Amino acid sequence: MAYRYLFEQMVRRELRQKYRGSALGVLWYLINPLVLMGAYYLMFGVIFDQASEPDYPLFLLVGLVVWVFFNQAVVSAAPSLLDQGALVRKARFPREIIPASVVTVQLVTFLALIALLAPVTIAFRGTLDVALLLLPLVLACLFAFILGIALAVSILHAYFRDVAPILSAALLPWFFISPIFFRPESITEQATARFVLEWVNPVAPFIGSVRDVIYGGIVPGGAELAYIVVAATVALVGGHALFRRLQGELAVVV
Amino acid sequence: MTAFEASLRPGEIVLEHASRSFSARADRGRTLKEMLIGRTRAGGPPAVEALRDVSMHIQPGETVGMVGRNGAGKSSTLRVLAGIVPLNSGRVGCGGQVVSQLELGAGFGREFSGRENIFLNGALHGLQKEQIEARLDAIIEFSELGDFIDSPVATYSSGMFLRLGFSIAAHLDADVLLIDEVLAVGDEAFQRKCEARIAEQIAGGATLVLVSHDAALIERTCERLVVLDGGRKIFDGPVDEGMPFYHRLMGTADAVPPVACEPSGERVSPQ
Repeated sequence: MAYRYLFEQMVRRELRQKYRGSALGVLWYLINPLVLMGAYYLMFGVIFDQASEPDYPLFLLVGLVVWVFFNQAVVSAAPSLLDQGALVRKARFPREIIPASVVTVQLVTFLALIALLAPVTIAFRGTLDVALLLLPLVLACLFAFILGIALAVSILHAYFRDVAPILSAALLPWFFISPIFFRPESITEQATARFVLEWVNPVAPFIGSVRDVIYGGIVPGGAELAYIVVAATVALVGGHALFRRLQGELAVVV
Repeated sequence: MTAFEASLRPGEIVLEHASRSFSARADRGRTLKEMLIGRTRAGGPPAVEALRDVSMHIQPGETVGMVGRNGAGKSSTLRVLAGIVPLNSGRVGCGGQVVSQLELGAGFGREFSGRENIFLNGALHGLQKEQIEARLDAIIEFSELGDFIDSPVATYSSGMFLRLGFSIAAHLDADVLLIDEVLAVGDEAFQRKCEARIAEQIAGGATLVLVSHDAALIERTCERLVVLDGGRKIFDGPVDEGMPFYHRLMGTADAVPPVACEPSGERVSPQ
Protein backbone atom coordinates (compact mmCIF):
# COMPACT_ATOMS: atom_id res chain seq x y z
CA MET A 1 0.00 0.00 0.00
CA ALA A 2 2.42 2.62 -1.22
CA TYR A 3 -0.43 5.10 -1.56
CA ARG A 4 -1.77 4.78 1.99
CA TYR A 5 -0.52 8.25 2.82
CA LEU A 6 -2.07 9.71 -0.32
CA PHE A 7 -5.42 8.33 0.81
CA GLU A 8 -4.94 9.97 4.20
CA GLN A 9 -4.07 13.27 2.53
CA MET A 10 -7.06 13.11 0.22
CA VAL A 11 -9.43 12.45 3.12
CA ARG A 12 -7.99 15.37 5.02
CA ARG A 13 -8.17 17.61 1.99
CA GLU A 14 -11.76 16.60 1.27
CA LEU A 15 -12.74 17.24 4.88
CA ARG A 16 -11.22 20.67 5.01
CA GLN A 17 -11.59 21.95 1.49
CA LYS A 18 -15.36 22.09 1.23
CA TYR A 19 -16.01 24.37 4.15
CA ARG A 20 -12.65 26.08 4.33
CA GLY A 21 -13.02 29.69 5.40
CA SER A 22 -16.53 29.20 6.74
CA ALA A 23 -16.97 30.05 10.41
CA LEU A 24 -18.22 26.62 11.43
CA GLY A 25 -15.85 24.68 9.19
CA VAL A 26 -16.17 20.91 9.37
CA LEU A 27 -19.13 21.24 11.74
CA TRP A 28 -21.22 21.78 8.61
CA TYR A 29 -20.79 18.10 7.88
CA LEU A 30 -22.82 17.43 11.03
CA ILE A 31 -25.18 20.38 10.86
CA ASN A 32 -26.64 19.49 7.46
CA PRO A 33 -27.78 15.98 8.39
CA LEU A 34 -28.95 17.21 11.79
CA VAL A 35 -31.12 19.87 10.16
CA LEU A 36 -32.43 17.33 7.67
CA MET A 37 -33.26 14.94 10.50
CA GLY A 38 -34.94 17.74 12.44
CA ALA A 39 -37.08 18.62 9.43
CA TYR A 40 -38.17 15.05 8.86
CA TYR A 41 -38.89 14.56 12.50
CA LEU A 42 -41.09 17.68 12.45
CA MET A 43 -42.82 16.47 9.31
CA PHE A 44 -43.45 12.85 10.15
CA GLY A 45 -43.05 12.73 13.90
CA VAL A 46 -45.12 15.77 14.82
CA ILE A 47 -47.25 17.08 11.95
CA PHE A 48 -48.24 13.77 10.35
CA ASP A 49 -47.82 11.75 13.48
CA GLN A 50 -48.15 8.10 12.53
CA ALA A 51 -46.54 7.03 15.78
CA SER A 52 -47.02 3.33 15.25
CA GLU A 53 -43.65 2.79 16.87
CA PRO A 54 -42.69 3.59 20.43
CA ASP A 55 -40.29 6.52 20.79
CA TYR A 56 -41.02 7.30 17.18
CA PRO A 57 -38.45 10.11 16.82
CA LEU A 58 -35.68 7.69 17.71
CA PHE A 59 -37.09 5.04 15.38
CA LEU A 60 -37.05 7.59 12.60
CA LEU A 61 -33.65 9.09 13.32
CA VAL A 62 -31.83 5.76 13.47
CA GLY A 63 -33.17 4.86 10.03
CA LEU A 64 -32.57 8.32 8.68
CA VAL A 65 -28.93 8.46 9.70
CA VAL A 66 -28.22 5.30 7.67
CA TRP A 67 -30.00 6.73 4.66
CA VAL A 68 -28.20 10.06 4.91
CA PHE A 69 -24.85 8.24 4.87
CA PHE A 70 -25.85 6.28 1.77
CA ASN A 71 -27.35 9.28 0.03
CA GLN A 72 -24.55 11.75 0.77
CA ALA A 73 -21.78 9.29 -0.05
CA VAL A 74 -23.22 8.31 -3.41
CA VAL A 75 -24.18 11.85 -4.41
CA SER A 76 -20.76 13.28 -3.59
CA ALA A 77 -18.84 10.33 -5.07
CA ALA A 78 -20.55 10.60 -8.47
CA PRO A 79 -18.78 13.78 -9.69
CA SER A 80 -15.62 13.21 -7.62
CA LEU A 81 -13.41 11.97 -10.47
CA LEU A 82 -14.36 14.96 -12.59
CA ASP A 83 -13.80 17.33 -9.67
CA GLN A 84 -10.28 15.96 -9.29
CA GLY A 85 -9.62 16.01 -13.03
CA ALA A 86 -6.41 17.99 -12.60
CA LEU A 87 -4.91 15.14 -10.59
CA VAL A 88 -6.24 12.41 -12.85
CA ARG A 89 -4.84 14.04 -15.98
CA LYS A 90 -1.41 14.81 -14.60
CA ALA A 91 -0.37 12.06 -12.22
CA ARG A 92 -0.36 8.33 -12.00
CA PHE A 93 -1.87 6.91 -8.86
CA PRO A 94 -4.66 4.47 -8.00
CA ARG A 95 -7.74 6.48 -8.92
CA GLU A 96 -9.94 4.51 -6.54
CA ILE A 97 -8.50 6.76 -3.87
CA ILE A 98 -10.65 9.67 -5.05
CA PRO A 99 -14.13 8.17 -4.55
CA ALA A 100 -12.88 6.19 -1.55
CA SER A 101 -11.77 9.37 0.21
CA VAL A 102 -15.14 11.01 -0.47
CA VAL A 103 -16.96 8.03 1.02
CA THR A 104 -14.60 7.96 3.98
CA VAL A 105 -15.39 11.57 4.80
CA GLN A 106 -19.08 10.67 4.84
CA LEU A 107 -18.24 7.67 7.00
CA VAL A 108 -16.62 9.95 9.55
CA THR A 109 -19.75 12.13 9.58
CA PHE A 110 -21.95 9.07 9.90
CA LEU A 111 -19.93 7.66 12.80
CA ALA A 112 -20.12 11.02 14.56
CA LEU A 113 -23.90 11.03 14.16
CA ILE A 114 -24.13 7.42 15.38
CA ALA A 115 -21.96 8.31 18.37
CA LEU A 116 -24.47 11.06 19.23
CA LEU A 117 -27.58 9.08 18.51
CA ALA A 118 -26.83 5.56 19.73
CA PRO A 119 -26.22 6.35 23.43
CA VAL A 120 -29.36 8.51 23.57
CA THR A 121 -31.45 5.81 21.91
CA ILE A 122 -30.06 3.04 24.05
CA ALA A 123 -30.58 5.02 27.25
CA PHE A 124 -34.14 6.06 26.34
CA ARG A 125 -35.22 2.67 25.14
CA GLY A 126 -33.24 0.58 27.59
CA THR A 127 -31.91 -1.48 24.72
CA LEU A 128 -28.40 -2.14 25.97
CA ASP A 129 -27.89 -5.72 24.90
CA VAL A 130 -25.14 -8.03 23.73
CA ALA A 131 -26.66 -7.54 20.27
CA LEU A 132 -24.77 -4.25 20.27
CA LEU A 133 -21.60 -6.27 19.71
CA LEU A 134 -22.86 -6.87 16.20
CA LEU A 135 -22.84 -3.15 15.42
CA PRO A 136 -19.22 -3.06 14.13
CA LEU A 137 -19.98 -5.90 11.72
CA VAL A 138 -23.17 -4.25 10.51
CA LEU A 139 -21.44 -0.89 10.03
CA ALA A 140 -18.49 -2.50 8.24
CA CYS A 141 -20.91 -4.14 5.82
CA LEU A 142 -22.71 -0.84 5.34
CA PHE A 143 -19.43 0.92 4.55
CA ALA A 144 -18.32 -1.79 2.10
CA PHE A 145 -21.71 -1.70 0.38
CA ILE A 146 -21.66 2.07 0.00
CA LEU A 147 -18.02 2.10 -1.11
CA GLY A 148 -18.78 -0.44 -3.83
CA ILE A 149 -21.74 1.57 -5.10
CA ALA A 150 -19.69 4.78 -4.97
CA LEU A 151 -16.85 3.24 -7.02
CA ALA A 152 -19.31 2.12 -9.68
CA VAL A 153 -21.20 5.40 -9.75
CA SER A 154 -18.08 7.57 -9.91
CA ILE A 155 -16.47 5.70 -12.79
CA LEU A 156 -19.75 5.46 -14.70
CA HIS A 157 -20.38 9.16 -14.30
CA ALA A 158 -16.92 9.97 -15.70
CA TYR A 159 -17.89 8.26 -18.96
CA PHE A 160 -21.64 8.83 -19.04
CA ARG A 161 -22.52 12.23 -17.67
CA ASP A 162 -26.16 11.27 -17.28
CA VAL A 163 -25.39 9.08 -14.28
CA ALA A 164 -25.36 11.76 -11.59
CA PRO A 165 -28.63 13.43 -12.70
CA ILE A 166 -30.35 10.05 -12.98
CA LEU A 167 -29.08 9.19 -9.54
CA SER A 168 -30.32 12.36 -7.90
CA ALA A 169 -33.70 11.85 -9.55
CA ALA A 170 -33.85 8.26 -8.31
CA LEU A 171 -32.76 8.95 -4.76
CA LEU A 172 -35.90 10.87 -3.73
CA PRO A 173 -38.47 8.14 -4.51
CA TRP A 174 -35.94 5.58 -3.27
CA PHE A 175 -35.87 7.47 0.00
CA PHE A 176 -39.65 7.30 0.39
CA ILE A 177 -39.89 3.56 -0.27
CA SER A 178 -37.04 2.83 2.12
CA PRO A 179 -38.21 1.71 5.57
CA ILE A 180 -37.19 4.91 7.31
CA PHE A 181 -40.55 6.22 8.48
CA PHE A 182 -42.26 2.87 8.72
CA ARG A 183 -41.80 -0.85 8.97
CA PRO A 184 -42.86 -2.60 5.76
CA GLU A 185 -45.09 -4.98 7.72
CA SER A 186 -47.01 -2.13 9.29
CA ILE A 187 -47.96 -0.39 6.04
CA THR A 188 -48.91 -3.30 3.80
CA GLU A 189 -50.57 -6.69 4.13
CA GLN A 190 -49.64 -7.69 0.62
CA ALA A 191 -46.83 -10.25 0.50
CA THR A 192 -45.33 -9.08 -2.80
CA ALA A 193 -45.23 -5.44 -1.78
CA ARG A 194 -43.70 -6.36 1.53
CA PHE A 195 -41.09 -8.51 -0.15
CA VAL A 196 -40.15 -5.67 -2.48
CA LEU A 197 -39.91 -3.16 0.36
CA GLU A 198 -37.88 -5.49 2.54
CA TRP A 199 -35.59 -7.30 0.13
CA VAL A 200 -35.52 -5.78 -3.34
CA ASN A 201 -34.38 -2.43 -2.01
CA PRO A 202 -30.79 -3.24 -0.99
CA VAL A 203 -30.66 -0.40 1.52
CA ALA A 204 -33.61 -1.76 3.51
CA PRO A 205 -31.82 -4.65 5.23
CA PHE A 206 -29.03 -2.27 6.30
CA ILE A 207 -31.53 0.12 7.84
CA GLY A 208 -33.29 -2.84 9.47
CA SER A 209 -30.08 -4.27 10.93
CA VAL A 210 -28.81 -1.00 12.35
CA ARG A 211 -32.24 -0.32 13.80
CA ASP A 212 -32.52 -3.81 15.31
CA VAL A 213 -29.21 -3.43 17.11
CA ILE A 214 -29.52 0.17 18.36
CA TYR A 215 -33.24 0.85 18.62
CA GLY A 216 -34.56 -2.66 19.19
CA GLY A 217 -31.76 -4.12 21.28
CA ILE A 218 -32.12 -7.39 19.40
CA VAL A 219 -29.96 -9.47 17.10
CA PRO A 220 -31.02 -8.96 13.46
CA GLY A 221 -32.58 -11.97 11.77
CA GLY A 222 -30.26 -14.51 10.17
CA ALA A 223 -31.60 -13.81 6.71
CA GLU A 224 -31.07 -10.10 7.16
CA LEU A 225 -27.49 -10.56 8.38
CA ALA A 226 -26.70 -12.93 5.54
CA TYR A 227 -28.22 -10.42 3.11
CA ILE A 228 -26.07 -7.50 4.24
CA VAL A 229 -22.87 -9.57 4.18
CA VAL A 230 -23.63 -10.77 0.65
CA ALA A 231 -24.79 -7.32 -0.53
CA ALA A 232 -21.62 -5.72 0.85
CA THR A 233 -19.39 -8.30 -0.83
CA VAL A 234 -21.17 -8.15 -4.17
CA ALA A 235 -21.24 -4.34 -4.22
CA LEU A 236 -17.58 -3.98 -3.28
CA VAL A 237 -16.21 -6.69 -5.56
CA GLY A 238 -18.48 -5.72 -8.44
CA GLY A 239 -17.95 -1.98 -8.03
CA HIS A 240 -14.20 -2.38 -7.87
CA ALA A 241 -14.09 -4.70 -10.88
CA LEU A 242 -16.13 -2.21 -12.89
CA PHE A 243 -13.84 0.62 -11.79
CA ARG A 244 -10.70 -1.32 -12.80
CA ARG A 245 -12.21 -2.20 -16.14
CA LEU A 246 -13.18 1.32 -17.08
CA GLN A 247 -10.48 3.40 -15.44
CA GLY A 248 -7.90 3.14 -18.25
CA GLU A 249 -9.22 6.02 -20.32
CA LEU A 250 -9.97 8.19 -17.31
CA ALA A 251 -7.26 10.76 -18.03
CA VAL A 252 -8.74 11.23 -21.49
CA VAL A 253 -12.40 11.60 -20.55
CA VAL A 254 -12.34 13.73 -17.42
CA MET B 1 3.15 -1.36 -11.48
CA THR B 2 2.81 -3.96 -14.18
CA ALA B 3 4.86 -7.14 -14.28
CA PHE B 4 6.52 -5.77 -17.40
CA GLU B 5 7.62 -2.66 -15.54
CA ALA B 6 8.90 -4.72 -12.64
CA SER B 7 11.19 -6.51 -15.11
CA LEU B 8 12.90 -3.26 -16.16
CA ARG B 9 15.93 -1.79 -14.48
CA PRO B 10 15.43 1.46 -12.58
CA GLY B 11 15.67 4.25 -15.14
CA GLU B 12 15.08 2.02 -18.15
CA ILE B 13 12.33 3.06 -20.58
CA VAL B 14 10.81 0.83 -23.21
CA LEU B 15 8.26 1.83 -25.82
CA GLU B 16 7.39 -0.86 -28.36
CA HIS B 17 5.21 -0.26 -31.41
CA ALA B 18 3.19 2.23 -29.44
CA SER B 19 0.07 3.64 -31.05
CA ARG B 20 -2.54 5.88 -29.57
CA SER B 21 -5.31 7.98 -31.04
CA PHE B 22 -7.65 10.50 -29.49
CA SER B 23 -11.16 11.49 -30.41
CA ALA B 24 -11.22 15.14 -31.38
CA ARG B 25 -14.76 15.74 -30.20
CA ALA B 26 -15.42 18.25 -27.47
CA ASP B 27 -17.64 15.96 -25.43
CA ARG B 28 -15.46 12.96 -25.08
CA GLY B 29 -17.65 11.14 -22.61
CA ARG B 30 -20.38 9.03 -24.12
CA THR B 31 -23.95 9.63 -23.11
CA LEU B 32 -26.06 6.94 -21.62
CA LYS B 33 -28.32 6.99 -24.66
CA GLU B 34 -25.39 6.06 -26.89
CA MET B 35 -24.46 3.24 -24.60
CA LEU B 36 -28.01 1.92 -24.48
CA ILE B 37 -28.59 2.03 -28.21
CA GLY B 38 -25.08 0.74 -28.69
CA ARG B 39 -23.60 3.15 -31.15
CA THR B 40 -21.69 6.36 -31.20
CA ARG B 41 -22.40 9.46 -33.20
CA ALA B 42 -21.06 9.35 -36.70
CA GLY B 43 -19.42 12.33 -38.30
CA GLY B 44 -17.37 14.99 -36.61
CA PRO B 45 -13.62 15.26 -37.00
CA PRO B 46 -11.72 12.00 -37.33
CA ALA B 47 -9.66 10.67 -34.45
CA VAL B 48 -6.22 12.23 -34.06
CA GLU B 49 -3.45 9.69 -34.22
CA ALA B 50 -1.04 11.06 -31.66
CA LEU B 51 1.38 8.13 -31.75
CA ARG B 52 1.85 5.80 -34.68
CA ASP B 53 3.97 2.75 -34.11
CA VAL B 54 6.62 4.51 -32.06
CA SER B 55 9.38 2.40 -30.56
CA MET B 56 12.33 3.45 -28.45
CA HIS B 57 14.53 1.89 -25.83
CA ILE B 58 16.16 4.26 -23.38
CA GLN B 59 18.91 3.02 -21.08
CA PRO B 60 19.25 4.13 -17.46
CA GLY B 61 21.12 7.42 -17.27
CA GLU B 62 20.42 8.51 -20.85
CA THR B 63 19.32 12.05 -21.57
CA VAL B 64 16.80 12.29 -24.37
CA GLY B 65 15.37 15.43 -25.88
CA MET B 66 12.13 15.19 -27.78
CA VAL B 67 11.26 17.77 -30.42
CA GLY B 68 8.76 18.27 -33.19
CA ARG B 69 6.05 20.58 -34.38
CA ASN B 70 2.99 21.38 -32.29
CA GLY B 71 0.82 18.31 -32.41
CA ALA B 72 3.65 15.97 -33.37
CA GLY B 73 2.90 13.71 -30.40
CA LYS B 74 5.53 14.87 -27.91
CA SER B 75 3.23 15.49 -24.99
CA SER B 76 1.20 12.38 -25.76
CA THR B 77 4.39 10.34 -25.67
CA LEU B 78 5.23 11.76 -22.27
CA ARG B 79 1.75 11.06 -20.95
CA VAL B 80 2.04 7.50 -22.22
CA LEU B 81 5.48 7.10 -20.62
CA ALA B 82 4.11 8.51 -17.37
CA GLY B 83 1.43 5.82 -17.39
CA ILE B 84 -1.40 8.33 -17.40
CA VAL B 85 -2.80 7.48 -20.82
CA PRO B 86 -2.93 3.84 -21.98
CA LEU B 87 -1.91 2.72 -25.47
CA ASN B 88 -4.28 1.42 -28.12
CA SER B 89 -1.61 -1.05 -29.12
CA GLY B 90 2.01 -1.76 -28.32
CA ARG B 91 3.58 -1.68 -24.92
CA VAL B 92 5.26 0.76 -22.59
CA GLY B 93 7.17 0.64 -19.35
CA CYS B 94 9.43 2.75 -17.15
CA GLY B 95 11.54 1.16 -14.45
CA GLY B 96 11.81 2.61 -10.96
CA GLN B 97 10.38 5.83 -9.59
CA VAL B 98 8.91 7.93 -12.38
CA VAL B 99 8.52 11.63 -11.72
CA SER B 100 6.59 13.50 -14.37
CA GLN B 101 6.57 17.25 -14.60
CA LEU B 102 3.87 17.66 -17.18
CA GLU B 103 2.38 20.69 -15.54
CA LEU B 104 3.97 22.11 -12.46
CA GLY B 105 1.67 22.49 -9.54
CA ALA B 106 -1.08 20.38 -11.12
CA GLY B 107 -3.44 19.37 -8.40
CA PHE B 108 -2.33 21.96 -5.92
CA GLY B 109 -5.18 22.76 -3.56
CA ARG B 110 -5.36 26.51 -3.86
CA GLU B 111 -6.77 27.02 -0.38
CA PHE B 112 -3.95 25.03 1.18
CA SER B 113 -0.56 26.31 2.18
CA GLY B 114 2.58 25.58 0.24
CA ARG B 115 3.69 23.24 3.00
CA GLU B 116 0.44 21.25 2.88
CA ASN B 117 0.72 20.99 -0.88
CA ILE B 118 4.22 19.55 -0.57
CA PHE B 119 2.76 16.69 1.43
CA LEU B 120 -0.09 16.12 -1.00
CA ASN B 121 2.20 16.20 -4.02
CA GLY B 122 4.71 13.85 -2.42
CA ALA B 123 1.86 11.49 -1.57
CA LEU B 124 0.72 11.58 -5.20
CA HIS B 125 4.07 10.06 -6.12
CA GLY B 126 3.58 7.28 -3.61
CA LEU B 127 5.76 8.70 -0.84
CA GLN B 128 4.95 8.18 2.83
CA LYS B 129 4.78 10.92 5.41
CA GLU B 130 8.26 10.26 6.84
CA GLN B 131 9.83 10.30 3.38
CA ILE B 132 8.28 13.66 2.64
CA GLU B 133 9.27 15.08 6.02
CA ALA B 134 12.85 14.08 5.31
CA ARG B 135 12.82 16.18 2.12
CA LEU B 136 10.71 19.06 3.41
CA ASP B 137 13.52 21.44 4.32
CA ALA B 138 15.38 20.88 1.06
CA ILE B 139 12.21 21.52 -0.94
CA ILE B 140 11.36 24.71 0.93
CA GLU B 141 14.91 25.99 0.67
CA PHE B 142 15.09 25.23 -3.03
CA SER B 143 11.79 26.97 -3.72
CA GLU B 144 13.08 30.20 -2.10
CA LEU B 145 9.58 30.80 -0.80
CA GLY B 146 10.70 31.53 2.74
CA ASP B 147 7.82 32.41 5.03
CA PHE B 148 5.33 32.23 2.17
CA ILE B 149 5.49 28.45 2.48
CA ASP B 150 2.77 28.68 5.13
CA SER B 151 0.50 30.94 3.06
CA PRO B 152 -2.23 29.49 0.85
CA VAL B 153 -0.92 28.94 -2.68
CA ALA B 154 -3.87 31.00 -3.94
CA THR B 155 -1.91 34.01 -2.76
CA TYR B 156 1.22 33.04 -4.74
CA SER B 157 2.36 34.73 -7.89
CA SER B 158 2.53 32.41 -10.89
CA GLY B 159 6.32 32.34 -10.54
CA MET B 160 6.10 31.25 -6.91
CA PHE B 161 3.55 28.61 -7.83
CA LEU B 162 5.80 27.10 -10.49
CA ARG B 163 8.87 27.33 -8.28
CA LEU B 164 7.14 25.29 -5.60
CA GLY B 165 5.94 22.77 -8.17
CA PHE B 166 9.43 22.32 -9.56
CA SER B 167 11.04 22.13 -6.14
CA ILE B 168 8.77 19.28 -5.11
CA ALA B 169 9.27 17.32 -8.32
CA ALA B 170 13.04 17.86 -8.15
CA HIS B 171 13.30 16.21 -4.74
CA LEU B 172 11.44 12.97 -5.28
CA ASP B 173 14.46 10.77 -6.07
CA ALA B 174 13.42 10.11 -9.64
CA ASP B 175 14.84 7.21 -11.63
CA VAL B 176 13.01 8.57 -14.64
CA LEU B 177 12.36 12.28 -15.12
CA LEU B 178 9.73 13.25 -17.66
CA ILE B 179 9.69 16.98 -18.26
CA ASP B 180 7.34 18.82 -20.57
CA GLU B 181 8.35 22.37 -21.42
CA VAL B 182 8.23 23.50 -17.83
CA LEU B 183 11.75 24.74 -17.32
CA ALA B 184 10.83 28.32 -18.05
CA VAL B 185 10.26 28.65 -14.35
CA GLY B 186 10.68 31.90 -12.55
CA ASP B 187 13.50 34.29 -13.29
CA GLU B 188 16.73 33.51 -15.05
CA ALA B 189 18.57 32.74 -11.83
CA PHE B 190 15.98 30.19 -10.83
CA GLN B 191 15.99 28.64 -14.30
CA ARG B 192 19.72 28.14 -14.02
CA LYS B 193 19.19 26.55 -10.65
CA CYS B 194 16.60 24.18 -12.13
CA GLU B 195 18.96 23.11 -14.88
CA ALA B 196 21.70 22.55 -12.33
CA ARG B 197 19.34 20.47 -10.21
CA ILE B 198 18.38 18.33 -13.22
CA ALA B 199 22.07 17.88 -14.09
CA GLU B 200 22.66 16.79 -10.51
CA GLN B 201 19.92 14.16 -10.77
CA ILE B 202 21.33 12.92 -14.09
CA ALA B 203 24.78 12.68 -12.54
CA GLY B 204 23.12 10.60 -9.85
CA GLY B 205 21.98 8.13 -12.50
CA ALA B 206 18.51 9.41 -13.43
CA THR B 207 17.15 9.09 -16.94
CA LEU B 208 15.80 12.26 -18.52
CA VAL B 209 13.18 12.70 -21.22
CA LEU B 210 12.77 16.38 -21.99
CA VAL B 211 10.22 17.91 -24.34
CA SER B 212 11.02 21.45 -25.34
CA HIS B 213 10.98 23.89 -28.21
CA ASP B 214 14.13 25.45 -26.81
CA ALA B 215 16.84 23.92 -29.02
CA ALA B 216 19.66 25.45 -26.98
CA LEU B 217 18.29 23.95 -23.76
CA ILE B 218 18.10 20.51 -25.36
CA GLU B 219 21.61 20.80 -26.72
CA ARG B 220 22.89 21.74 -23.26
CA THR B 221 21.00 18.97 -21.42
CA CYS B 222 20.57 16.02 -23.77
CA GLU B 223 22.86 13.63 -25.61
CA ARG B 224 20.19 11.91 -27.65
CA LEU B 225 17.46 13.45 -29.74
CA VAL B 226 14.14 12.05 -30.90
CA VAL B 227 12.25 13.96 -33.56
CA LEU B 228 8.55 13.28 -33.87
CA ASP B 229 6.33 14.30 -36.75
CA GLY B 230 2.67 13.44 -37.22
CA GLY B 231 2.89 10.86 -34.47
CA ARG B 232 5.83 9.04 -36.03
CA LYS B 233 9.43 8.92 -34.95
CA ILE B 234 11.44 10.33 -37.83
CA PHE B 235 14.84 10.65 -36.16
CA ASP B 236 16.51 9.01 -33.20
CA GLY B 237 20.19 9.59 -32.65
CA PRO B 238 22.90 11.83 -31.22
CA VAL B 239 21.76 15.36 -30.60
CA ASP B 240 24.50 16.94 -32.74
CA GLU B 241 23.22 15.05 -35.78
CA GLY B 242 19.59 15.45 -34.87
CA MET B 243 19.48 19.20 -34.42
CA PRO B 244 20.42 20.04 -38.02
CA PHE B 245 17.84 17.50 -39.15
CA TYR B 246 15.22 19.12 -36.90
CA HIS B 247 16.05 22.60 -38.11
CA ARG B 248 15.75 21.45 -41.71
CA LEU B 249 12.38 19.93 -40.87
CA MET B 250 11.13 23.09 -39.30
CA GLY B 251 12.64 25.40 -41.88
CA THR B 252 11.67 23.63 -45.05
CA ALA B 253 9.21 21.09 -43.84
CA ASP B 254 7.71 20.32 -47.23
CA ALA B 255 11.06 19.73 -48.86
CA VAL B 256 12.15 17.06 -46.40
CA PRO B 257 12.04 13.68 -48.06
CA PRO B 258 10.66 10.79 -46.04
CA VAL B 259 13.61 9.75 -43.91
CA ALA B 260 14.36 6.24 -42.91
CA CYS B 261 13.55 5.74 -39.28
CA GLU B 262 16.79 3.99 -38.44
CA PRO B 263 19.59 6.53 -38.60
CA SER B 264 22.86 6.02 -36.84
CA GLY B 265 22.52 5.90 -33.14
CA GLU B 266 19.17 4.14 -33.35
CA ARG B 267 18.91 1.87 -30.38
CA VAL B 268 15.62 0.16 -30.87
CA SER B 269 16.45 -3.47 -31.20
CA PRO B 270 14.83 -5.11 -34.22
CA GLN B 271 11.68 -6.96 -33.23
